[in-house]
Amino acid sequence: MSIDRRKAALFCTAAAVRLLLFTAFPGLPDLLTGRVEISTPVTSFKRLQEGLFLYNHNVSPYDGGVYHQAPLLLPLFSLLPNSLDYPIFTYIIYILVDLLSADALMKIADSGEARSSKLYTSPRKDKKWGSLEIAAAFLFNPFTIATCIGRPTSVFTSCAILHAVAKAVAGSSLTSIFALTFAAYLSMYPILLLPPLLLLCFDRRRSESSINFFLGCASAVGGSTYALLQMSYIITGSWEFLSSTYGVHLLLPDLTPNVGLWWYFFIEMFDSFRNFFLGVFWLHLSSYVGGLTIRLRRQPLFVVTILLGIFAIFKPYPSISDTSLFLAMLPLYQHVFPLMRYTFLTTSTVLYATLLGPAFYYLWVYAGSGNANFFYAITLVWSLGLSVLVGDILFAVLRDEWEVERPEMKGKEIRQI
Amino acid sequence: MALLSSGVLLKRDPRLLKLPPYLSFLCIAVGIAWLLLLPLNDYSRRTYISENALLPGQVHTYFAGSDQHVFRGFKHEVDALEGKSNTEVNDKLEEFFKAAGLKVARQKFEYKSAGEVYQGENIYAILHAPRGDATEAIVLVGAWKNVEEEFNRSGVALVLTLARYFKRWSLWSKDIIFLVTPDSRAGPQAWVDAYHDTQSSPAIQPLPLKSGALQGAVVIDYPFNHRFESLHIVYDGINGQLPNLDLFNTVVSIASGQMGIGVTLQRMWNHKDDYKERLQTMLRGMLKQGLGHASGPHSSFIPYHVDAITLQPYGEGWQDEMAMGRVIESTFRSLNNLLEHLHQSFFFYLLMHSGRFVSIGTYLPSAMLVAINFTIMAIYLWVKSGTPISKSTKVASTMGEKSTPLELVKEGDAIAILPEEITGVRERELFLPLAVVAGTQFLGVLPLYIFNHTTHSMLSIVFGIFTILNTVLPYFISKSIIEYFGPTTQQYQLIKSFSLLLLGMFLSSLATLNFSLAFLVGLFAAPLTYIQPLPGRPILVTVLSLLINVLAPTAVILAGVFAWELNLGEVLKEAAFGWDIWGMNTQVVVWCVWWPAWLVGNILLYGKARDESSATKAVK
Repeated sequence: MSIDRRKAALFCTAAAVRLLLFTAFPGLPDLLTGRVEISTPVTSFKRLQEGLFLYNHNVSPYDGGVYHQAPLLLPLFSLLPNSLDYPIFTYIIYILVDLLSADALMKIADSGEARSSKLYTSPRKDKKWGSLEIAAAFLFNPFTIATCIGRPTSVFTSCAILHAVAKAVAGSSLTSIFALTFAAYLSMYPILLLPPLLLLCFDRRRSESSINFFLGCASAVGGSTYALLQMSYIITGSWEFLSSTYGVHLLLPDLTPNVGLWWYFFIEMFDSFRNFFLGVFWLHLSSYVGGLTIRLRRQPLFVVTILLGIFAIFKPYPSISDTSLFLAMLPLYQHVFPLMRYTFLTTSTVLYATLLGPAFYYLWVYAGSGNANFFYAITLVWSLGLSVLVGDILFAVLRDEWEVERPEMKGKEIRQI
Repeated sequence: MALLSSGVLLKRDPRLLKLPPYLSFLCIAVGIAWLLLLPLNDYSRRTYISENALLPGQVHTYFAGSDQHVFRGFKHEVDALEGKSNTEVNDKLEEFFKAAGLKVARQKFEYKSAGEVYQGENIYAILHAPRGDATEAIVLVGAWKNVEEEFNRSGVALVLTLARYFKRWSLWSKDIIFLVTPDSRAGPQAWVDAYHDTQSSPAIQPLPLKSGALQGAVVIDYPFNHRFESLHIVYDGINGQLPNLDLFNTVVSIASGQMGIGVTLQRMWNHKDDYKERLQTMLRGMLKQGLGHASGPHSSFIPYHVDAITLQPYGEGWQDEMAMGRVIESTFRSLNNLLEHLHQSFFFYLLMHSGRFVSIGTYLPSAMLVAINFTIMAIYLWVKSGTPISKSTKVASTMGEKSTPLELVKEGDAIAILPEEITGVRERELFLPLAVVAGTQFLGVLPLYIFNHTTHSMLSIVFGIFTILNTVLPYFISKSIIEYFGPTTQQYQLIKSFSLLLLGMFLSSLATLNFSLAFLVGLFAAPLTYIQPLPGRPILVTVLSLLINVLAPTAVILAGVFAWELNLGEVLKEAAFGWDIWGMNTQVVVWCVWWPAWLVGNILLYGKARDESSATKAVK
């Protein structure tokens, strides 16, 4: 009971902080909505409003090329009162989504999957944070709060991914697969999480043979994708949405600056090379899935975590919302933190980039005394910080596995030669 | 990098662990020395015009002869308007502008700040370019009252004369806007805001008449009747932003090269161009930039990326109003030539003479070095807080021995060298340090809110109370932290580490936006690098706490007020005015960056670490 009370207190505080920020600073939501670090062309709340307006006036929301988000968001938001007149309902929706994500995260933490999976048990499994601390680290992460206030639709994707993982560790593979398909339906890239997620479910399957299991999963993925797309078709009345949503993810027609690495690269590129490099970039992004899933077969949850980190760096339209999702999963591996080597370096790099990013963007766009290279340079630093973090946590987990095989090496220092 | 960042190298060699404090001191020293070197010929550069289209001083100016009579006439009319109300003045000015054949419009504005109301009405006239398409415009501003509240008698008359004169020419390819504001502080801001449709409140009317994108603005501040000697150029914008150096160079080259008028800056009336004078000019410029307030009507234009300067004639000499008019004419002819927005030359520079400057690449390292000193100490303290306690004795005993033996491990293709030593890292207790640092950062919002929302009459009293609280509060906070949490040495180290890390990050980000402010705050905060709990040495603590309190933000503000013989209430009112109307950010830096770091430093000074050995025993 006491856990529940503490959980309720935590959730209430988190909701209160968000509500306070929403209401005490009325200019803040719109300010953050306009920030390129939070809103990307495929998640922006402003663009959602535009799509919603067109949808409510019986025009195809994809006319005009501003709205690139999934069609099913439209009926959901058109049920709410107009967000300009009654913003409180929108605020409550976004706060609830954050709390739902935190709830899923707590379920993942409670399962203990991070410390001991079916095939692997960490020698450091006794060192752990409670699920409350992990949820608090997520709910009070400034990136999460800023994302919530900025209201991009990526929070729905994050919530769906967390629920997919939570259901997978609970053993209900069908629900899990449906949640992941929904995430993929919203922003496509989560489909790359399918292999580790299937393994996560596979490790908890009851009795059926592995062929039956994978056939069942494949049909579940196919069925739910079909259902979602068919519903979208019925809502919008044409298949146009496919090219306007997934086409934008794949082909990157909108080069609005963001914290990722793609936009600048594709601005500078000659058009004849564009298709080739689109292929290369997407291949690069998806190539991690196979390798990591095989190498870390014994810890599929960690594969999910690390892939989320990689997506936050390398996906076409990343934002700090993706980073906050990665940082939410990271504390699950608190037991290997002592094995990490660059924690302070990564923390400072990410913090520096967080401060310098808006400063350089201001110099470029408002003051006019800087140029695009200023902001791009800082997104490189940001990505560097995150890559070091991803590499470092990967190192820590591999080392943890290695120490099971070679107990005599415990506590000794490794040097690459 | 790998070795340094993980602290492995630091932990391995005790001599290296002693190094960072000296290194950070070296950073500060080099940073200051760097700044002092800048005025030398080897480090500063002569100014030059980057934008070829400007062609300053290449045209013949025709503002002379009969225009002098026109000027005298307008002067007479303007003198007659002295002391009249804003509306009466504008009625008359409207007549004049209309008589010159220009379109005229007016704009009412009203601002509220620190319990006072600032209101008035701007009047402006647009000369549509005979050869342009109204996509670009240049502004000529004459404020009715200048920043010192003097009646800008010749300035406004000159604006009227030039409006009439410019109308006669067919060579303009950009629109020219003649703007007369009732004051130099609120009026220009209201006009520029409304020109870009960003006015904050409905009390500021939108502009009924507009032209194209503003390319530049020149302000005339000529508040006396007699002839003048030289020209004083004011160029500082709000928040330390500066106009493009090309605009400044253009005016300097026209005034001194074409017209033979001397040019000075930063109130250095007799500049001998030696090291001392250059340094003084540069420091005055830095101080003004650091304070970030508006220094003239031009300042309001700069945040909108409109390059602007104020021209102030001064002294007794033989230059007359017509010479001033010709400088403006020639400048406008140069701006008229621009093919695109001024972008070639520098936006970040420090001027030390009308013909000498240093650019950002040369001066930025000095502020960065001061900021990096904090980061170095933060990293050092982080590493130190993770070093096992027992290690220190062990290291001391093994110092004489040769280096730790390495073991070669081979497995398949992989080879690794492992030192035969356990690289333990002490578990860090992060919660209390994070809470203390986050709490003090959050506390900074309080003074920021209070000083921007108190009425004028109360400001000095509130500041007095705050100063007194500020001196006693850290002691009690520190005592209560000791009382309730009993922090360990490690936690004190972490508190300091986080606080310095934040300070270093804020300052290095700030250095790219407002170099001078970052440098000044960095200097005042530099002693915080070396503050640590000193239990059992009360005399040293007293001395240090005196030093720290002298360097407190409040004390520094008071010292500045006394040094320049200002009125504290007026300074605070100006700060609130800047916050409300100009969008000045200096207070945010003072109260949310500097003050929290200072507070943490002061808390640390009174701190007393819990005895850890007894604590662990108690746990057992």
